Amino acid sequence: MSEQTVTIYKRMKDLPSTRLLGAGTPMCAGCGGLQAVHEIYDILGEKTVFVNAAGCMTLLAVYPFTPFRGSWLYTSMASAPAGAQGVRDALDILLAKQRIKQEQDLDVVVLTGDGAAYGMGLSSTSSAIERGLDFIYVCYDNEGYGNTGQQTSAATPHGARTSTSTDARGFGGFKKDLFAIWAAHRPAYVATVIGSEPLDLARKIEKAKAMKGPRLIIALSPCPTGWDFDPMESAEIGHLAVKTGVWPLKEYENGQVTHTKVPSEWLPVEEYLKKQGRFAHLFKPQRNKALISEIQTRVDAYWAEVERA
Amino acid sequence: MYRIRFHGRGGQGTKTASRMLGTAFFLAGYQVQDAPRYGAERRGAPIFAYVRAAKEAIHERGVIREPNLVVVADDSLVPVPAAGVLQGATARSVMLISSSESAATWRDRLNFPGTVLTLPAEASEQAELCFVGAACTGAAARLLGVIPRAILEAAVREELSALGEDIIRRNLEQALAAFDCMEPHAGSVNEGVAFSVADAKAPDWIDLPVDESDAAAAAIHASATSVEVRTGLWRVLRPVIDYDRCNRCWWVCSEFCPDSAIKVDADGRPEIDYDHCKGCMICVAQCPPHAIAAVPEQEFSEKTP
Ligand SMILES: Cc1ncc(C[n+]2csc(CCOP(=O)(O)OP(=O)(O)O)c2C)c(N)n1
Ligand code: SF4
Ligand SMILES: [Mg+2]
Repeated sequence: MSEQTVTIYKRMKDLPSTRLLGAGTPMCAGCGGLQAVHEIYDILGEKTVFVNAAGCMTLLAVYPFTPFRGSWLYTSMASAPAGAQGVRDALDILLAKQRIKQEQDLDVVVLTGDGAAYGMGLSSTSSAIERGLDFIYVCYDNEGYGNTGQQTSAATPHGARTSTSTDARGFGGFKKDLFAIWAAHRPAYVATVIGSEPLDLARKIEKAKAMKGPRLIIALSPCPTGWDFDPMESAEIGHLAVKTGVWPLKEYENGQVTHTKVPSEWLPVEEYLKKQGRFAHLFKPQRNKALISEIQTRVDAYWAEVERA
Repeated sequence: MYRIRFHGRGGQGTKTASRMLGTAFFLAGYQVQDAPRYGAERRGAPIFAYVRAAKEAIHERGVIREPNLVVVADDSLVPVPAAGVLQGATARSVMLISSSESAATWRDRLNFPGTVLTLPAEASEQAELCFVGAACTGAAARLLGVIPRAILEAAVREELSALGEDIIRRNLEQALAAFDCMEPHAGSVNEGVAFSVADAKAPDWIDLPVDESDAAAAAIHASATSVEVRTGLWRVLRPVIDYDRCNRCWWVCSEFCPDSAIKVDADGRPEIDYDHCKGCMICVAQCPPHAIAAVPEQEFSEKTP
């Protein structure tokens, strides 16, 4: 967080204490994605319209039920940013014709999973950023196609078991660096967040809300169902993702990347891995030392690079 | 025609249990329908699945209203009216509950018109929750009396073939142990008679007011209508706050609750909304002074079957 920023969220007690997102949604118990979405919504407020690509969160608004206080639009997986363009244009026309007042304007918020953000919808996001679309993109990243049974996506980390990567080493590929891809477009703002760090999240959403243009947020979303852990552990796994350095909290603004939370001491990545069934094959029946240290080395290399910069 | 209804919670393998039973029937030469019935509900939510099997073509459709056999994978669902476990049961119905309590206890408690049997939880003791489904399939197969042990085994193998030999083996152990354990009651489920169309009852429609409009769907004018959905039914454990230990930090439990189910008042006193709390227990794990305890939901429902 840059020094000049004035945030109203200085301490935990400054966070909103009322909840805007309605209870009763069909997300799984312990869903880390829903945790992040409710925290984001608390900051963004009700003057928002959500444009939601197919994924778990589409089930938020199953007619006639919705947890939102405003409108919600459902798009196909690849085209949420295009849907957002339509909504933004409609609002702009209404404003120009003075059919709505400035204070009735809404923030257009795209909400998609990683399957859409890292993969199917990347092209429509890229062109929306190119056009300078005034919108906020929230990707809840549960590192797989969760709603359809956790198939491997472009966000799946190396070594994780998914329903399509079932062999002894798990997924052989690597998680795509969406933060870097988005930042390379030079949009107004890009940030990573996680629901288990609500203060860091609140400051970033507060900042994004005050800006114009394309603002993109990736929320790592511990998913008890897809990652295979007890829902009770959801926030703890979020904490571990940050404390082990697996999920760097950072933001991009004016060509600069800043890390917003750098632990003074790192925990070994296996603290994070061993809590999740999707990595169980790294520990049972034998410890896969090579793969664990390969994952550790990659995390260490990332932070060494950060330090050098 | 056999009509079997499975009740469980999302994540317990109830859907798979009904599929395995359906496949077993099919391999035994029956015509079969099997279908899970859940809306958008997820892990922990009460769900049901049903199987119809007959030697002749099945013309009946939709959910089973008068089951010959009701299989309950999770006994905490029995007292929950919205789970509909007892729905449509008659004196000819058999109910099998996976439970550590005795059949006699359930018989007293339920005032169930038909036969009540339990699948002792010891039969699935070492089993993790996800194998309960297989045990239920095995027990159901034996109660029906028309599915041989070898066919049960083939059906389990067929349905789980993608999951690897280890998972298949553990499910088979459960299914076959439960099959053997139900020997004294083999064949105790009778086939039901075919219904005539004239007997069909109208389903419970939910009437929604439709706007006069040229738009495709009626608009929702209220906000946050999701609160009409009582996700509190998903819960098997209830978080209970000890207000003497709660230090009113408030932001921890309420902020971390994914479901907006913990409200705080002006003094920072948190209150859990049990109509919606899904029982994830994140608050129990995160509360700094450990002021929130996880209490089995059964302790609250015992008095109100
Ligand atoms: C073009 C297209 N392909 C496949 C699907 C089926 N589908 C619905 S939701 C979903 C998973 C989406 O994954 P992600 O975006 O990561 O969201 P999550 O389900 O994890 O929340 C898929 C594949 C679809 N709706 N559209
Ligand atoms: S599958 Fe994962 S991301 Fe989807 S609702 Fe369940 S916990 Fe959330
Ligand atoms: Mg996903």
